[in-house]
Amino acid sequence: MTHELRMVGALMRRGLNEILRVPGGAVPGVLAPTIFMLGLSAVFGRAAQLPGFDATDFRTFIVPVGMLQGAGFTGAATGVNLARDIEQGWFDRMLLAPAPRPVLLAGVVGSACLRSLLPATFLLAVAFALGVDWPGLLELALAAVLVMGLAAAMACWGVVIALRFRTQQAAPLMQMGSFVAVLFTTAYAPRELLSDWLRAIADVNPVTHVLEGVRQGFVGDVTWADTWPALVSVTGLVVVLGALAVRGMRRQGY
Amino acid sequence: MAAIEVSALEREFKGGVRAVDGIDLEVQAGEVYGFLGPNGAGKTTTVRMLVTLLRPTAGSARVAGFDVATEPAQVRRRIGVALQEAALDPLMTGRELIQLQATLHGIAPRSVADRGDELIGRVGLSRAAERRVGTYSGGMRRRLDLAMALIHRPEVLFLDEPTTGLDPTSRLTLWEEVRRLRDEGTTVFLTTQYLEEADQLADRLGIIAAGKLVAGGTPAALKAEVGRPHLDLVLADGADLAAAREVVASFGDRRPASDGCHLSIALEHGAAEIAPVLRALDDAGFAVAELELKQPTLDDVFLEKTGEHLEGGDEPEPEPAGGPAVLG
Repeated sequence: MTHELRMVGALMRRGLNEILRVPGGAVPGVLAPTIFMLGLSAVFGRAAQLPGFDATDFRTFIVPVGMLQGAGFTGAATGVNLARDIEQGWFDRMLLAPAPRPVLLAGVVGSACLRSLLPATFLLAVAFALGVDWPGLLELALAAVLVMGLAAAMACWGVVIALRFRTQQAAPLMQMGSFVAVLFTTAYAPRELLSDWLRAIADVNPVTHVLEGVRQGFVGDVTWADTWPALVSVTGLVVVLGALAVRGMRRQGY
Repeated sequence: MAAIEVSALEREFKGGVRAVDGIDLEVQAGEVYGFLGPNGAGKTTTVRMLVTLLRPTAGSARVAGFDVATEPAQVRRRIGVALQEAALDPLMTGRELIQLQATLHGIAPRSVADRGDELIGRVGLSRAAERRVGTYSGGMRRRLDLAMALIHRPEVLFLDEPTTGLDPTSRLTLWEEVRRLRDEGTTVFLTTQYLEEADQLADRLGIIAAGKLVAGGTPAALKAEVGRPHLDLVLADGADLAAAREVVASFGDRRPASDGCHLSIALEHGAAEIAPVLRALDDAGFAVAELELKQPTLDDVFLEKTGEHLEGGDEPEPEPAGGPAVLG
């Protein structure tokens, strides 16, 4: 077990290496959620005055969406990086190591979890500077756990696509996963204001529960009723997409 | 004891392309086995099956005593692999890559640094160890790749065209390392398209063409099978090659000329026939500009087995105006 943990740690370090050595490469993924938050707030800021929003302003309502988008970008980037590793032969080197396939996957996904905190931190720093309500430390910690969980799930999705198509040209498909998953939720308006068809989809979309789990604390108080569905949903996403990713890994070679 | 045993190994890809078509071979522990063939012959596909990166569609293979299909993890623990492209993360330093490879192979942390230093020194990269790999030359990358393949002291080392694209100095350095590994008792499975490399390094050879193993044995035995030396002649400008071929036809078998502009003949009785051949050409009015008596090479073996030359085989043979440059 110790060996396996060291392998995971070594692969996570490699994943983080890119941010440290080519910081410019991470800039778009870090900035995008913040730009998104600023842009949407400028356009739809007054929507927060509609009944049902329960937020002091639209920025507070939309910040959790940006955090999940950052997690989605990080997950997609993980898939793109893996596709690049496949194209360049590095992935073969990983497969040739006598490490169990789930360990290799854990290293790749673990790195995505940590990296997802970067866009979220930058977004929060800007948001708080602009006056977004401080949700509290425990609430932020819960939000961070959910963001990292969604990043892990989206990284697994990226890995599945990378292993299936084995090319960086599949990047749009990797990004589409999180884009669609976040879009069909209560991201942009409260459930009560959604049209019937979108509300029906949002109700069964597990990412809706993750989003509401992150949003509590920013909008209203943290409750167990909103927390457990979020934790169950994000765990379910990680388990299902992780299983698919492990299956994909096991299909490579032997 | 056999380090590698392969029986009726096949790999068929989508569309019915059979890249490897029923290969049987055996590599003894401690020997360097050269796997010689042109581009597209099936060398890399065979290696990828033996190192557990690609499933065979038929047949079986055992490496270091374990079946590649049913015991892949055991195989991976016992092999080192340097694939055709030295896949290295350009953002990491040489030392970091060695340490990562050591960790992935389960080497204890207290041993990683020592083993890493030993291998970095062995492949002559001590001064470049802290530099990012993106700044390395092709030869340095190959040497680092080799060091990474050796990190866990593998029983069997697979080198897939390790010197392709390298300059002569880097090539010689790698050859020396392969010889040293053999001396240390490591079994080496070396694929190459270079005749000289196979001749220099391999204890035994397998020649593969179009997915089939067409010959096997020691380089000396394979060359002895081909047998006779051959005489290459370049005639003075303006000579009638067709007429010259008629003149020398009685001295030996026809051979394809490698460049289509000279005569080549496998002599029945070796060097003793040089003078009679020259006399016959002289009597017929042909002036010989150059001549060379060549001993059989692995290219001759390849030619004998496949009907084609190995080196330069990608290019069509030019045909002179008087027809193909084949003596007959």
